[in-house]
Amino acid sequence: MSMAKLEAADVCMEYYQPRTGKRMLAVDRFCLSVDEGEFVSILGPSGCGKSTFIKIVDGLISATAGELRLDGKKITGPGRDRSMVFQDSSLFPWFTVIRNVAYGLECQGLSGKEAAKQSQPFIDLVGLTGFEHHYPYELSGGMQQRVNLARALAVNPQLLLMDEPFAALDAQTREVMQHELLNIWQQTRKMVLFITHQIDEAIYLSDRVIVMSARPGRLMADIKIDIPRPRHLWVKRDPKFLEYTDQIWHLIESQVKRTMAADQVVASRD
Amino acid sequence: MTAAAATQSESKLLDVRYAGLPPLLRWYLINERGILGALSFVGFFLFWEIGSAAGWIDAYFFSSPARIFNAGVTEVQNPRLWSDLQISGTELVVGYVAAAAIGVPLGILVGWYRKLNYFVDPWLNFMNALPRVAMMPLIVLWVGIGIWSKIVVVFLGVFFTVVINSLYGVRTVDRRLLDVSSSFKASQWRVFTTVVLPGSVPFILAGLRLGIGRGLIGVLVGELYSSNAGIGYMITVSSQTLQTSRLLFGVLLLTLMGVIGVELVRLLEKRVERWRPKVGAR
Amino acid sequence: MAAASTGEGELLDVRLAGVAPWRRWYAQHERLTLGVLGFVSVLAFWELTVQVGWMKRVFLSSPTAIYTAFLNEARAGTLWTNISVSLLEFLLGFFIAAVVGVTIGLIGGWFRRANYILDPWLSALYATPDIALVPLIILVLGIDLQAKVFVVFLTSLFSVAVNTLIGVQSIDIRMLEVARSFGASHLRVFRTVILPGTVPFMLSGLRLASGRALVGVVLAELLAANAGLGFMINLAGSTLNTARMMVGVLLLGFFGVLLGEGLRRVEQHFEVWRPKRQD
Repeated sequence: MSMAKLEAADVCMEYYQPRTGKRMLAVDRFCLSVDEGEFVSILGPSGCGKSTFIKIVDGLISATAGELRLDGKKITGPGRDRSMVFQDSSLFPWFTVIRNVAYGLECQGLSGKEAAKQSQPFIDLVGLTGFEHHYPYELSGGMQQRVNLARALAVNPQLLLMDEPFAALDAQTREVMQHELLNIWQQTRKMVLFITHQIDEAIYLSDRVIVMSARPGRLMADIKIDIPRPRHLWVKRDPKFLEYTDQIWHLIESQVKRTMAADQVVASRD
Repeated sequence: MTAAAATQSESKLLDVRYAGLPPLLRWYLINERGILGALSFVGFFLFWEIGSAAGWIDAYFFSSPARIFNAGVTEVQNPRLWSDLQISGTELVVGYVAAAAIGVPLGILVGWYRKLNYFVDPWLNFMNALPRVAMMPLIVLWVGIGIWSKIVVVFLGVFFTVVINSLYGVRTVDRRLLDVSSSFKASQWRVFTTVVLPGSVPFILAGLRLGIGRGLIGVLVGELYSSNAGIGYMITVSSQTLQTSRLLFGVLLLTLMGVIGVELVRLLEKRVERWRPKVGAR
Repeated sequence: MAAASTGEGELLDVRLAGVAPWRRWYAQHERLTLGVLGFVSVLAFWELTVQVGWMKRVFLSSPTAIYTAFLNEARAGTLWTNISVSLLEFLLGFFIAAVVGVTIGLIGGWFRRANYILDPWLSALYATPDIALVPLIILVLGIDLQAKVFVVFLTSLFSVAVNTLIGVQSIDIRMLEVARSFGASHLRVFRTVILPGTVPFMLSGLRLASGRALVGVVLAELLAANAGLGFMINLAGSTLNTARMMVGVLLLGFFGVLLGEGLRRVEQHFEVWRPKRQD
């Protein structure tokens, strides 16, 4: 067995409600390993704890139980070896594109000038050359997420974390962005952990798709995607692709319904 | 509520049926807002003027536009007015600047440290809700009836508004952006300068804008209560001597002072907020 | 970072469940605990500075002296007269301003032409420091109840009217289109779309107005009156009775807090349908 780079063992995140003393498990004994150069997606119904998990991997939240190691080193907080592409509207609205991309480098102590210089290739990489001095509000949703991606890549992390980065985009823009992400990934071959609730997005992008159950989030299945790369968008209509889609949908359907029922209870109580 | 006009970023678009109307009617419909607004102003002033000339309105108590204008013309030539203006202006500026200079940093500090915020919250709310006029006799007791009593009351009026708005600005900074910063291991200082400060600037400026009105009320209250100079004093004297026109001219001057102050803060706002989308802002 | 929230109220990190009970209690009631602590410690510090003699008693009096003065005033009965006079002036003027202001705001927000006529006036008068007119009002209406009621009316009217008007204008155009598409009558549109959308704005207008109006009453009472809390403060000030002055000031402060907090509660009550903002 090859040495896994990212190793998560029995990660739990548990909350409790002070008034009633009731406990609530958000993530339940989640185990995961990701190898060097692997693109892994975590797929689950909304509210299953997948975003909580990726925040734990980034070090923004600390797990209540379990252990995470990256390259053998225990994860205790945010670090230079990881960076995150956040969900939409997480760019600093008061900074231009170039300063947004340079942010991580500035945090590492580089001067503004040097950080900007080192950011330029990443702006070029995501195809935003010429937009360096625009403010986020002047960009479309797709372009904003390219900036987000460039910001995360600019610090040259070992592990790239992506928390539903395309969820707020319209269907067509999303497809284009998925394709571009693969192109960029092809060039860098970084280890990627990608969170999504879109089945086709997970299959299209990943080497492996991890299916998570409804709350409390547990590992349900670990599916290897055997579709050769480079992949073009039309593989989405390939019979093999559709087989994977069916397989995952069957796994997840009952979970989605469970989530919806729980949501209804919450809504009626409010 | 008819949706006769749709607006685009460039210029106004009108229903094509407008094109067929007679020119005068079309002109009226296009400029209806301005025309009706102007008419209502002109109509009111005419009514006031004619009413007081014809004796339906007691000019003794309510003056008339022409009388106020005349009073203004006389006053402008009076050196006393300029010294009054200067005194009221000094009180406003000194009290306001001091309150802003202390209030903004303090508000940010209190907003940043949650426990400190909880600790001072009751007193902040109490002082903000307290009508500061009520402290006028107390302030006179502290610093006498001179210019300092007005500066103190202006300060108290502006200070709490500024503190509370700055505090609120810091408290409402976008959680997601804080996550981004900590994900990149930004230092506390960097988080402060790149996330907290830019995010709370709009609130701070709103507080400063509100503070202008509060400060102006402070000047007025202070001068009406006890003074021997300033626009408020001029208003007091005018009311005691039944010079209503002069009194109303004083009110007009104060309004002007307020408008100028607010516009100055607006200019500052425009300069600072280049990153904010322009369409439909405010 | 430790808390997440769902529909069921606040959730804490489970690790907190294990700590000592008093620390858990503190974590849940931190805001209240620190608030009470802050309030009490300022009072204690105030008392101390005066007792030790760092500050002259005549400048700020002291909490205990103020309390004694309050009891004396309350026993003498004059306090209640003064409170009720101020309260009556305030409530009368405020009520009339609310009725008139809301009406003007609704008309100015709903009818396009009325808006064109009213809007420049409202913005001009909103910017005018209306308390400058207090001397004139006293001159015209005298020093009795009616003058103060009018001052309250004038100082609160424009906040209420302007806010109501903005409320009507910021109603979601889509909701109006839905109502119109279903053929709702004017009255129904008013009841089901305009009113629910505007009430929060009206109430925040009232809250703003209450602050201004309080300033108005007190100023009018300071300048010319023979009863009311402002009158009481002024009288105490001229006899250098600081404790008595502070009784009036603090009472006005409490009244201001009560009024603001009360109106905020009502505002929240009318906004149950709005998703709560997460802190």
